[in-house]
Amino acid sequence: MRLTRPPARQAPETIVALIDVVFFLLVFFMLIGRMDATAPFEVSPPVAQTGSDMPAGGITLSVAADGAMAVDGLPVTDPMVPLLAGIRETPETLVRINAHHTAELRHILPLIAELEAAGAREVALVVTPSAP
Amino acid sequence: MSQADAIILRRPRPPRALISLVAMIDVLLILLVFFMVTSTYLDLDMIPAVSQDENTASTAPLPDQRSRPLMIRIGADGRPFVRGQPLDDQMLAARVRDANGAPVLILPTGVAQTQSLVTVMDIATRAGAREVRVIRLEARP
Repeated sequence: MRLTRPPARQAPETIVALIDVVFFLLVFFMLIGRMDATAPFEVSPPVAQTGSDMPAGGITLSVAADGAMAVDGLPVTDPMVPLLAGIRETPETLVRINAHHTAELRHILPLIAELEAAGAREVALVVTPSAP
Repeated sequence: MSQADAIILRRPRPPRALISLVAMIDVLLILLVFFMVTSTYLDLDMIPAVSQDENTASTAPLPDQRSRPLMIRIGADGRPFVRGQPLDDQMLAARVRDANGAPVLILPTGVAQTQSLVTVMDIATRAGAREVRVIRLEARP
């Protein structure tokens, strides 16, 4: 009597690798997407060709076209409270002002002066090299 | 060999069926496509507004003391003015080049848009201004 082994089942390693890759891509896009959503309103920064590269980290103050403000994605009425708290903790924190290109300067310039007076070492205006 | 000595052959038990991964992969791919489509990529740069370290740099070349600063005003409509004269972008760049490295002071009105200030700073920097400062008027207390 001849006995033949049933054919061995194919190992499922290939599917595991696929799932790993898809997971990495998923996490990557989730993180990238979250970085973009740092304001509860639409912010389209002004266009400038001479901007320098922006380092990561710091506090982001978003200013909407109508003057509404948010600090790190949370809407605030007085942005100086969380900003000053952050500066007092670490004065070398970079404060990024991500203002909509049509926001009026009366909302922004007094804030920069207050930040400088409060001891902020680095305050920067966020710009984009090309219009979105 | 008698009948009683017959060898009993048993099939090995079939391996337990794996939980189907197809459904999970489907969900993952849908999530992946969702995040790929909804993510927008903005190439963001920055223009320093306050940089306390630059004041301590003693090696920076001192601006020519004889050159008077060039004052640029920005009106409510975003147009730059120098000495009361409205300028377009090319004329403004020429004025900054003529100032020959003199400090550039920008005085925008409060109702001007951010883009107008950034545009003027951009033009001044490209025209060779080494020191660009934004000033504002404060109400007397």
